Amino acid sequence: MSVPKYSTGMAKVVNSSLYQHTLGAAVESRIGRIILLASVPLLWLIMLHVGPIYQMLKISLLSHYPVQPGVESHFTLANYAIFFQESIYFTPLIKSFIFATGATAFTLVVVYPVAYYVAKIVKPQGRSKALLLLLVPFWAGELIRTFSVIMLLANRGAVNVLLREIGLIDRPIPMLYTSFSLGFGLVYLICLYMLLPLYSAIEKIPSPLLDAAADLGAGPFTRFRRIILPLSRDGIVSGCSLVFLTCIGVFATPMLLGGPNTVLFPETISSFFHGASDKWPVGAAFALIMLVTALIAAAIFMRLVGGSKRRAI
Amino acid sequence: MEPVVQFDHVTKNYGSQVAVDDLNLSIEAGKFVTLLGPSGCGKSTSLRMLGGFEMPTSGRILLSGKDVTRVPPNKRNVNIVFQDYALFPHMNVAKNIAFGLELKGLDNKSIHRRVSELLELVQLQDYANRLPNELSGGQRQRVALMRALAPDPDVLLLDEPLSALDAKLRQQMQIELKAIQEKTGKTFMFVTHDQEEALTMSDTIVVMNNGRIEQMGDPSTLYGRPGSVFVANFIGETNLLRSTVLGAEGNLTALDWNGITIKADQGGLSPKAGEHLYVVLRPESIHCSATEPTSGNRIKGKIRQRVFKGNHTSLAVEVGDGAVLNTLVHPGDVAQLAGDDIWVGWKPETATVIPDRHAHR
Amino acid sequence: MRSLFSDAPRVTLTAIYWAFIFYLLLPLTLMMAMSFKDANFVAFPIGEWTLDWYAKVLQDKQFLEACLYSIMIAAATTLAATVLGVWIAMLIVAEGIKGQVIIFALACLPAVVPGMISAISLRIFISTIDMPTGTAAIILGHTVHAVPFVVVMALTRLRSMPGNLVDAARDLGADSFVAFLRVTLPYLGPALFGGMIFCVLLSIDDFVRTFFLGGYRPTLPMLIFAKVQGGMSPEINAMATLVLVVTAAVGLYAEYLTRRARTR
Repeated sequence: MSVPKYSTGMAKVVNSSLYQHTLGAAVESRIGRIILLASVPLLWLIMLHVGPIYQMLKISLLSHYPVQPGVESHFTLANYAIFFQESIYFTPLIKSFIFATGATAFTLVVVYPVAYYVAKIVKPQGRSKALLLLLVPFWAGELIRTFSVIMLLANRGAVNVLLREIGLIDRPIPMLYTSFSLGFGLVYLICLYMLLPLYSAIEKIPSPLLDAAADLGAGPFTRFRRIILPLSRDGIVSGCSLVFLTCIGVFATPMLLGGPNTVLFPETISSFFHGASDKWPVGAAFALIMLVTALIAAAIFMRLVGGSKRRAI
Repeated sequence: MEPVVQFDHVTKNYGSQVAVDDLNLSIEAGKFVTLLGPSGCGKSTSLRMLGGFEMPTSGRILLSGKDVTRVPPNKRNVNIVFQDYALFPHMNVAKNIAFGLELKGLDNKSIHRRVSELLELVQLQDYANRLPNELSGGQRQRVALMRALAPDPDVLLLDEPLSALDAKLRQQMQIELKAIQEKTGKTFMFVTHDQEEALTMSDTIVVMNNGRIEQMGDPSTLYGRPGSVFVANFIGETNLLRSTVLGAEGNLTALDWNGITIKADQGGLSPKAGEHLYVVLRPESIHCSATEPTSGNRIKGKIRQRVFKGNHTSLAVEVGDGAVLNTLVHPGDVAQLAGDDIWVGWKPETATVIPDRHAHR
Repeated sequence: MRSLFSDAPRVTLTAIYWAFIFYLLLPLTLMMAMSFKDANFVAFPIGEWTLDWYAKVLQDKQFLEACLYSIMIAAATTLAATVLGVWIAMLIVAEGIKGQVIIFALACLPAVVPGMISAISLRIFISTIDMPTGTAAIILGHTVHAVPFVVVMALTRLRSMPGNLVDAARDLGADSFVAFLRVTLPYLGPALFGGMIFCVLLSIDDFVRTFFLGGYRPTLPMLIFAKVQGGMSPEINAMATLVLVVTAAVGLYAEYLTRRARTR
């Protein structure tokens, strides 16, 4: 029998005086351990998870940024005020909310039965395959999925060609660059973010519960309304919040699928950071308005729908 | 000889809760010592303190004469067999056992030799390349034991290692553990709440309750001469007869129990007349018969309940008003006890008296 | 009668599932089909089939450079996000440290902030620390985006780890650091590898952060975006198809790994 290879190198490193006097010594003391464990994570979290938001807040309250020589920057709320003065500013935000809400609601209705089917109807051994089939498009990125929607909806795209072939139309229906194409693209982009939370919530509902309800005389509709829906509430809340917040922040899709009438808020914000007329403080203020309103909307939704207060970390 | 482990006035508090209360304990080298007690009695905490995973609130712990109270676990020459084995799931059996040896800085060949030797000890040579989840419960148990023995610790600590096994395997492992302990000559410190385990394997049993040592001694002493009501109740089945002392008669004491006069061993106490004491009477010390015994303590009673237990039948016998004695009868003797009226009797020296206090110190 | 009635929901749901699958796969399938069209404009129906567009794409220096650039950024992002994510997760599960809930909330923050706002705030942030736009800024932005996912994955696995494994390692002579290297890290292993592949995909996919933080060198999504805006050609389809096939294969592999890790 050959002698197996054991890792003897580790002991050499650990017993070396270099290690013993540096890392080795540090991990032996409580303080040293805490410093090693906490320093980098805390630094990173404060610098890069909180820092950017904080800087954005700071700059949104300045009159000028980046500061030019000879110009003095001072504290102001004017950047926020601008938002309410021009309809070209607040209309896109309202549109963003309408599209995001619509897409979320539509996705919920469409994806819920699919999630239920995979979680409860498909047999356990077939479940991962059924899920995998749903996940395949997920691996195509945002741009590729958006691009594929163009293939479908363009004037000479598949739908128009098909309709003309069967003689329903003479001239293509303009679908691209409209609210329809944007909505379609958004739903296509985000529907899987709804699927996974719903699936895991529905899967956790014990099947005997449904059998018991059926045994007690509850029909399919009653079972759904009284048992499945309340018990999948957590999944609905997290799925909807995830989809809503993602929709709000989508940037490329509206630019590619939307038209002049569907300018959404991200594009508005973006205009302050590009081109000659960059007004960063205004852009920062607008971004914050969007962040705060989106989070408030999500919070109100969570409060309304409920869901368990205990959210384990 | 110097004790290998010494707890010197060790106290451990969790907030206002006292887990271990002024523990003083010396353990001789080469012994199989069991810390026995109900959950929360402080036995596991004591073990974890010895392992280095808990720091005593006060007091010192000495290992082979050296103060190790503040030494981290990796620098102490003790190893633990954990309750659920804690085998490294990503390492095979050989690598698991080799882990401690690798860190000691041994060369590849010596590690291999030691691992093979240990695998042979528990007949697991053919399993060296298996992963822990490919082993049965008993095999995992053996690997965990060998992994802890590999670095040649001063003391091997075992934290209820048998509790995850089923009853049959548990009995088999008790015998095997004891055999390994005798073969290796190591000091084993075993923690359990199972009195049967403790009685089977130990050289010394330390019964703990509420963070304190209730009694310490070899198994037969603890069983035959329990020092307190707690120990008497915790180890084995027992009848506790609350009695009043009438007077001494040589080595024996005469007592009054529910108006019946009985005699029992003094158990090292010097009882005074009128004092309240408990008489400890094991069920197997009681002899049941249809006719009145000629000597010793004897009481007439009625059988209230018979429970067939396979190798014996357990009887609940009512004597006097409402007082019940639990006894056991061997299969051959059951037939002659057809009626409900029987005599129970016992030799006075098989019963012993203990004070009427829960903690005695 | 009864079985017909009770089977109705089941049949309906099955139909909905397959309709949904059709909906999910149709656009992508059409897009892929178009990449084989033998004409230099994008329109249905496809008359002649060809592989010319693939030949063209694979010789397209701009495309290949964008691929390399994206892969480089993804690799750096993944490395940084994995180290940071595991480090943060270790801090969250550590004993005797207060405020773990807050640390967890902070760690998840970038996953909750909409992409656009995250991109803007990072753009502002790098300018306040005088960092130029470009490769480093992109990597930083992508790392911020990826860290929460690594944290969550590592935490899930760490929480399922028997608490006394580390104790056992310490007991056998390992200090805390060696115990982490020899026991915790290998235990995290498979799940972490799945998480790393997820980071790669996240980074290769990202458009909005790259758009605001990038310089003139285009990443893959930037290139595709520019081409789509510049006009349709089956060449883009071929490009997108190639990217899709590769990322889907990598994604499926990651899925397989995490599944295997879970059943172990």
